[in-house]
Amino acid sequence: MEKLIEELKVKIVEILNLPNVTPADVKADEQLVGGELGIDSIDVLEMVIMIEKDYGVAINNKELGAKVFATLETLAAYIEEKAPELPN
Amino acid sequence: MTGCPVYIAGMGVVSPIGCGLDETIDSLKKATCGLGPVAPFPVLLEHKLPVGSVALEGDDSRLPRTHRLACLAADQALAGSDRAPDAIVLGSTTGGILSTEFSFEEKVGDPEQYARHALGSIGEEIARRCGCTGPVITVSTACSSGAVAIKLAREMLRCGLARRVLAGGADSLCRLTYFGFSSLQLIDPSGAHPLDRERRGMSVAEGAAMLLLTTEPSDNHRLQVSGAGLSCDAYHATTPHPEGAGALAAMQAALADAGLSAADIDYINLHGTGTPDNDLSEARAVHILFPAGLPPLSSIKGATGHSLAAAGAIEAVIAGLCIEQGMVAANVGFANVDPELNIEPVLSPRSASVSTVMSNSFGFGGNNAALVIGKAQPKPVENAKRTASDLRIVGRACLTNVGHTQQTCKAFFTGTSAKDLLEEGIIADGLSPRLIRRLKRLPKMALSLSVRTCDGLPQERMPAMVSMGTAWGALSETHDFLERLIETGQQYPSPTDFIGSVHNAPAGQIAMLLGAKGANVTTSGGDCSFEQALLSADLLTQESADAVLVVGADEYHPHFSPLFDASVRLGEKPADGGGGLLLQRGDTISGPSLSLAYYQSSRKPNGVAELIDALGGEETVSRRFGVLLVGMPAAMRSKAENQLDAFLTQSSFKGPVVDYRPLVGEFASASAVATVLAVEIVELGIVPGRLISGDDRAMHGKGALVLGFGDFLTATRIMPS
Repeated sequence: MEKLIEELKVKIVEILNLPNVTPADVKADEQLVGGELGIDSIDVLEMVIMIEKDYGVAINNKELGAKVFATLETLAAYIEEKAPELPN
Repeated sequence: MTGCPVYIAGMGVVSPIGCGLDETIDSLKKATCGLGPVAPFPVLLEHKLPVGSVALEGDDSRLPRTHRLACLAADQALAGSDRAPDAIVLGSTTGGILSTEFSFEEKVGDPEQYARHALGSIGEEIARRCGCTGPVITVSTACSSGAVAIKLAREMLRCGLARRVLAGGADSLCRLTYFGFSSLQLIDPSGAHPLDRERRGMSVAEGAAMLLLTTEPSDNHRLQVSGAGLSCDAYHATTPHPEGAGALAAMQAALADAGLSAADIDYINLHGTGTPDNDLSEARAVHILFPAGLPPLSSIKGATGHSLAAAGAIEAVIAGLCIEQGMVAANVGFANVDPELNIEPVLSPRSASVSTVMSNSFGFGGNNAALVIGKAQPKPVENAKRTASDLRIVGRACLTNVGHTQQTCKAFFTGTSAKDLLEEGIIADGLSPRLIRRLKRLPKMALSLSVRTCDGLPQERMPAMVSMGTAWGALSETHDFLERLIETGQQYPSPTDFIGSVHNAPAGQIAMLLGAKGANVTTSGGDCSFEQALLSADLLTQESADAVLVVGADEYHPHFSPLFDASVRLGEKPADGGGGLLLQRGDTISGPSLSLAYYQSSRKPNGVAELIDALGGEETVSRRFGVLLVGMPAAMRSKAENQLDAFLTQSSFKGPVVDYRPLVGEFASASAVATVLAVEIVELGIVPGRLISGDDRAMHGKGALVLGFGDFLTATRIMPS
């Protein structure tokens, strides 16, 4: 899961165009949305698309999204659980 | 009731529940659901989303689908009318996008196939059909557009600018809205069931409705638009204010405009899209407005779906039908009360004595509108009149290929050659990186112009209202959304690009940045988009001392701009930019004054003579104006030159004439830049020789006149303070 978390950090920083944020600034166990990084509900929708596209995992409602996007760890765990093919 | 009554003299409607008033009444009485799986474009997804589509008869490929829907509604509204309306105000978010999507997917390079892409082309099509030679205003405030159009028409009538106005809204289903709302997870896969505890979203739909509004009394009038109110959340690009603050403000403004209290409302036609957030915030707002208990209320979007810009107009018609038929409409699809909403809507259609209806329409960008439709008052209380003092210019900024205001003025006034398109970094200079991280070219321009127009102003001078004109909207976002949609086989559309693609997204960003919670309007009418924004600002501030920020801007997009805009194709090099003006009324406000003195179609016979009359006649033109800044779009150059010749001959104006398009560049909002330059010239008191290929010319305390020629004749006066 470590590898997946590191991969997600890079992707998130890239697709969300967060100013002055590097992958290292995204902490695996910290609040992902609404925290200091400035990730908001629109970013969540972009991440939903990325996760479906890159990992084949759909997160298609708000209630589920709130749980899955709690932290990077919960997100990675959900992807590992649901992905048809694990990224190693 | 304040001011003169605005009667409804004719109504036309086309929606998933019927074409025409009779079919619509029948469906309302039977609570028919018009939702189904068939969209007017190929959907590759396995699970088709329910939509509200209209069965359009015949296959008229000459006109895009939105235009056809709008024309049907307009023909119905004007049936039995013996003369053309004085003006048309139409709300739309889609224009010819459905046709553009097909052409874009097929990589069609023929501009003719995109000739009716523009939002403004719908109203212009209706104007040609019915012989209207007055202004055609196109409003694009997302899902409130149709209601905002009715508000603007009402103000136009009340200040005596017109006696008969055709107003409404139209939108067709298209890939952009179908996949866009889907990417935002705002679509209910089982079809919209508004207000229900289990609701999961809306159903996108299409349709059109037009209302012929008039101040001319007649025994035949049964309905009137009693009031209309606008507001902006200035909270979030797509999510409504959680407590419904903006919705409440719009409803309160509509009641105040109507001179009524909440107790006078017999029925509320809710916006009620069926999304969890909208219905919750709207419910909170109505509970605050009606603390003693709610009148009967319902959303008809479980039956019709959400036809976006058409919705506000369709529901204004339905409000009228409820009054005429003595009924309230059912909230189709509702089964379970949501305790959080604490609302039990009308479950099945029933007879009721209904005299006054409130109809809500809220849209992206936090753009809120509420209408009050009532029984016609038998006699006018007051005549239409225009009493407002002049709008004063209290702030200004512009942006061109050369740079921001100072660089532009320096270049144009002292002589520098035109440059290539401005880098986005320069456009966004001074804006926080976090603010603009999701924004592309047009919203960056709009924010930059807004910040610079309002630079250094004290809080009490900051704008409460925003009025923005843009001919083409956010082309980068629209292009990128469609490109990714096609490339990924409709699998992975970008939510961010969809949010940014709506025409009013930049004005919504401005409102959030400046905290402007008053009316927020985006107009889109080709080369007159900025003049439409000026007119809207004028109409919405007739009784207000609040400052209004007026912006005109268009971006150059390498793929779309040359396909869409014939003048861009003829331009020497790509150009874009815009202008911003902060305007305010009041005896204590100083600064040059601005007024839009004329705006009519050039199809009107003797238009140039009428224009000169509007300016005060032949003698006045030379006496009052020290310079003309003339906009002659490249695609209409010869027609425009003839109009200018006629103007100069008939007015005997001998002063300097600045042909600004070759200098500023070929883009639809170039007149916004010209208007800012005109203010600079008036303040300087000199026409720089560079502008007129000669020596500097003193203005002798005179004003500047910005003229627009081509399909429409426009005149904007800037007079010294």
